[in-house]
Amino acid sequence: MFWTRLNFGKLQVGEHVALPLEDSVIRQLTKKERRLALLMLIFLGFIGAAMGILGRDDPLGIHGVLVFVAAILMVFFLGSEYYAPEPSNDRLARYYDDPSKVGIVMSMIWVVFGLAVGDWVAWLLVDPDLTFDAAWSSFGRIRPVHTTSVIFGFGGNALIATSFYVLQRTSRARLADQLSPWFVLVGYNLFCLIAVTGYLMGVTQSKEYAEPEWHADALLVVVWVTYFLIYLRTLARRKEPHIYVSNWYYMAFILVVAILHIVNNLAVPVSIGHAKSYSLFSGVQDAMTQWWYGHNAVAFFLTSGFLGMMYYYLPVRAGRPIFSYRLSIISFWGITFFYMWAGSHHLHYTALPQWVQTLGMTFSLMLLVPSWASASNALLTLNGAWHKVRDDATLRFMMVAAVFYGLSTFEGTFMAIRPVNSLSHYTDWTIGHVHAGALGWVAMITFGSIYASVPWLWKRERMYSAKLVEAHFWLALSGTAVYVFAMWNSGIIQGLMWRTYTESGTLAYSFIDSLIAMHPYYIARAIGGLLFLVGACIGAYNVWMTVKVPAAAMEKAEDTPLPMFPTGINVQPAE
Amino acid sequence: MSIEHGFLVGLSKSFGLFYLIALSAGVLAYTFWPSNKKQFDQAAESILRQEDRPWT
Amino acid sequence: MFGFHYRLERKAIGLMLVIIVVSSIGGFVEIAPLFTIHQTVEDVPDMRLYTPLELAGRNIYVREGCYACHSQMIRTLRDEVDRYGPYSLAVESKYDHPMLWGSKRTGPDLARIGEKYSDEWHVAHLDNPRDVVPVSVMPAYRWLLRTELRIDDLGLHLKAQRAVGVPYTDDMIANAAADAYGQAVPDSRQAEGVAKRYGKATTIRLFDGRADQLTEMDALVAYLQILGRLTEAPYKAKAQIGETP
Repeated sequence: MFWTRLNFGKLQVGEHVALPLEDSVIRQLTKKERRLALLMLIFLGFIGAAMGILGRDDPLGIHGVLVFVAAILMVFFLGSEYYAPEPSNDRLARYYDDPSKVGIVMSMIWVVFGLAVGDWVAWLLVDPDLTFDAAWSSFGRIRPVHTTSVIFGFGGNALIATSFYVLQRTSRARLADQLSPWFVLVGYNLFCLIAVTGYLMGVTQSKEYAEPEWHADALLVVVWVTYFLIYLRTLARRKEPHIYVSNWYYMAFILVVAILHIVNNLAVPVSIGHAKSYSLFSGVQDAMTQWWYGHNAVAFFLTSGFLGMMYYYLPVRAGRPIFSYRLSIISFWGITFFYMWAGSHHLHYTALPQWVQTLGMTFSLMLLVPSWASASNALLTLNGAWHKVRDDATLRFMMVAAVFYGLSTFEGTFMAIRPVNSLSHYTDWTIGHVHAGALGWVAMITFGSIYASVPWLWKRERMYSAKLVEAHFWLALSGTAVYVFAMWNSGIIQGLMWRTYTESGTLAYSFIDSLIAMHPYYIARAIGGLLFLVGACIGAYNVWMTVKVPAAAMEKAEDTPLPMFPTGINVQPAE
Repeated sequence: MSIEHGFLVGLSKSFGLFYLIALSAGVLAYTFWPSNKKQFDQAAESILRQEDRPWT
Repeated sequence: MFGFHYRLERKAIGLMLVIIVVSSIGGFVEIAPLFTIHQTVEDVPDMRLYTPLELAGRNIYVREGCYACHSQMIRTLRDEVDRYGPYSLAVESKYDHPMLWGSKRTGPDLARIGEKYSDEWHVAHLDNPRDVVPVSVMPAYRWLLRTELRIDDLGLHLKAQRAVGVPYTDDMIANAAADAYGQAVPDSRQAEGVAKRYGKATTIRLFDGRADQLTEMDALVAYLQILGRLTEAPYKAKAQIGETP
């Protein structure tokens, strides 16, 4: 696999590096772990073969072949060094960072792919014929490719990678196990791949953000339980008595996503040989379950996990402790508690009972308190470090992310109010809101965290080019601004046109009229998305070069000399 | 089905309120409990220490 | 040593349990009562099932991701009722696994689209929307007319639907494939069985305009033409208008 060359080649020893050279993934596994890996791969191969045979008349069969081929390739990869000598016990005195490295590389690959598809989808709304005369390339099939690639591919891999990193540092303990992190990473990316290729073949449940069918869902359950067990076992090994708050957020992310995923995806397959299944719920129950899931996927996948990231990387990068640790705990319980009630605000004025709608709206309003507590906690941490924000684009990514977090949680609360929702619902305003959160908050905090961790992980002094980080920052910020403003405009115009009456009491505009009015905004949106995509490509190149180019050959960072860690803090000895 | 719809709705509406208040009180008590302060301050500082290997 | 570790582990597991309890209550309180909602919702005796052909069409609607741009949920707002028709009732989607209420109207709502346009219009529109609506941004679904509909496994689909609570009879399951064919070919022997099993009001037509082949177009148009027509209840509820915006 290509990343073995990428990550585990001989490292140049930089200033901060006192570690021996890292080795290939397989060489770091013990004989016992290699044997277990082989058994699991053989089992995976069998599952792939079974899916291929049972589903031979169905897209399920193609997924079977995909799984089978993946298993065979990994068996060869494992076999190449199966009999290599076992690693020495020195490894146990180091953090296990290779899974984080691979996670970050996968995350950058997914984001470039996902944003590219997203921008293609955006141009399709400008000119619907910018595609092939083929089913796989139609709007309805590639749109979920975009959403899944960016949310689960980019966001998920970044969460897994950073959570392993943060978990070890804050626990001052190595990951509990060497094999299971790879199981999580490989399994998770296989899930994403099955999901995305499935959409192209028309395999989807048509449940927003829960599109993958039952076979992919089942795989994710196994992966997720393993992920959680790694977390729990590593926490149990920790040397710090207190569990740092980032881990609380990461744990809530893992646990609640598991609950949501399992409940919302309960379904009965047509047969064991069909990818198609029918949801266990119907009508109102299904709608409520789906939006309980959908809203809390935003809460616990796209917020809680990324808050975990923020509470670690922002203070460390700024070199200052979090403004108020207590506030971070209060926001944690606020978010964990309030969010779960708010899902029904997606169903205002529908056939859902009114009291459930009101409950959802009320809790959405209360949700503003913990959300703004987190956003202001982050910004107040930067108080006294604004010169760093000015000079350091990485820290600026995190700062802007906190601002967008504050803005989009305010906007979300506003849109959850019933009368506002009557205008905003079904329009592009929702799309604008989602992207303010996804581009402004989630992607920015992730890029900031990635730019912070890449030099730390690969023992480089800094990123390959600080200027490229700067360029990425401005492209990302302008792209987000263009996108969000375009969608605000189009959404509100759309909403107003649909409800405008003439003096004689008839509707003033046809649906087509509103569609024509959207055209310029759809062009602006696609351009905003393009800017964001170019920024991400630059980021991927920069990460690649940081990893590839030996530390000594890097450009001198005359403009932003950043120490890896702040000085002046005493190193506390181990107990 | 022996569970009445009205009963469930009533339970949801009343229980939710008490639960909310109890939970908030619990969280605030935990957060501002004086003996927890030291632990929190240490945690906030702990991530800034310049270390790159596990404690043994 | 053991005691220290035991305490640490207990703390992590405790945190985990509290997270689970605190987070799940909200969902439980809101969702649990909905499963007893049938006690309060009026029964609609004339609510009919999707025929196998309509179900196949619905599956194509799901497959192509139509929900991304079309809602099937008319809210209780005056302008929506004026534009699309009587607002949607809970009972109308009681056989919808999954529901397709949608969340976005890049295109118009489809909850009451059934029989508003002719079959010919739908076929032309799906084949290339810009032939009919020049400024449309909808994708052209040209492959629907070219692709034969798979009907041999429809019995399995009905069976799975029954497993999740849709009352298909053994007779319907056994004749699923024949009924799908019969509904799209009016002169065929199989057509009689469709009306017998699913009611006289079932539309039996050459949906795609050709008798030689059963295409995916037949199924999708059959589904679109039944939207909002599974029951008469919403039309009888006499345009009571909810809150005006």
